[in-house]
Amino acid sequence: MYALLLQTAEDVTRELVRLQRNYEFLSYGLIIAWVILVIYVLMMVQRERKLKREIASLKAMLEDRK
Amino acid sequence: MRDKLLFALGAFAIILLTRNIYVISGLPQEASQGAIFKIIFFHVPMAITALTCALVAFVASVLFLVTKNFVWDAAAVAVTEVGLAFLAGNLITGSIWGRIIWGIWWTWDARLTSALVCWLLYAGYLMLRRAIEEPTQRATFAAVFSIFAFIDVPIVIFSIKWWRTQHPQPVFWAGGSFPKDWSAVMGWNLLAIMALCAVMAAVRLRQEEAQREIDSLRRMAHAL
Repeated sequence: MYALLLQTAEDVTRELVRLQRNYEFLSYGLIIAWVILVIYVLMMVQRERKLKREIASLKAMLEDRK
Repeated sequence: MRDKLLFALGAFAIILLTRNIYVISGLPQEASQGAIFKIIFFHVPMAITALTCALVAFVASVLFLVTKNFVWDAAAVAVTEVGLAFLAGNLITGSIWGRIIWGIWWTWDARLTSALVCWLLYAGYLMLRRAIEEPTQRATFAAVFSIFAFIDVPIVIFSIKWWRTQHPQPVFWAGGSFPKDWSAVMGWNLLAIMALCAVMAAVRLRQEEAQREIDSLRRMAHAL
């Protein structure tokens, strides 16, 4: 929209490149932020499974000893 | 019941986030910054969420030292770990915004540096916990460390007022001029991210409870 108000073709091209770069970096920012959280959630899921396995094996061991 | 509640809260957070992303993508570009400005709708709520986690960790740590109840220790570690993930998101989105607007990924100004120090302090808190075996000693040392680390939180918040920084001045307080209808979108996104954080912290808290159960089962196994 602002590109239309600019005077030379060079200015228009520069503005379009700026807009393109702007969107590119916006998407990088959002993707990285959410990927961090998804990785953390996956780590939590893995930890949950490990804890459940450990509880089950300890309970089984205690049953055997009794 | 607790699982159902968590599932409902998680579903609510994801639906609200999806709706917010749709609304934010439809907002006009900011006049001087362009589309990259929209990163603020995630950058600021992530910061508020992370610093709220730090506050909860501080309160839980004080309560642990007063009551010696391990539930508070579990709450402190759960919110600290989740808050650290959100603070990482905040630092990265800020850095990407800075690359476009300032032309640099990072600068050692008071706000950025204090936020990074905050992240490092809470990462140190988690490392400290791994280094101590004995549960009571671990919880006590960690609580003291968490209280000490919280000193950095007001410094992060007020650094942009106390010192001249490259980081922008507040847009929501101290005379900031964020448009009203955009503030509503920001509020909804803050709610969604807070809800997501609450679910993650509750799941992490449950894991700490499971860890305590494992510790007690191990003690029983040794006693037999």
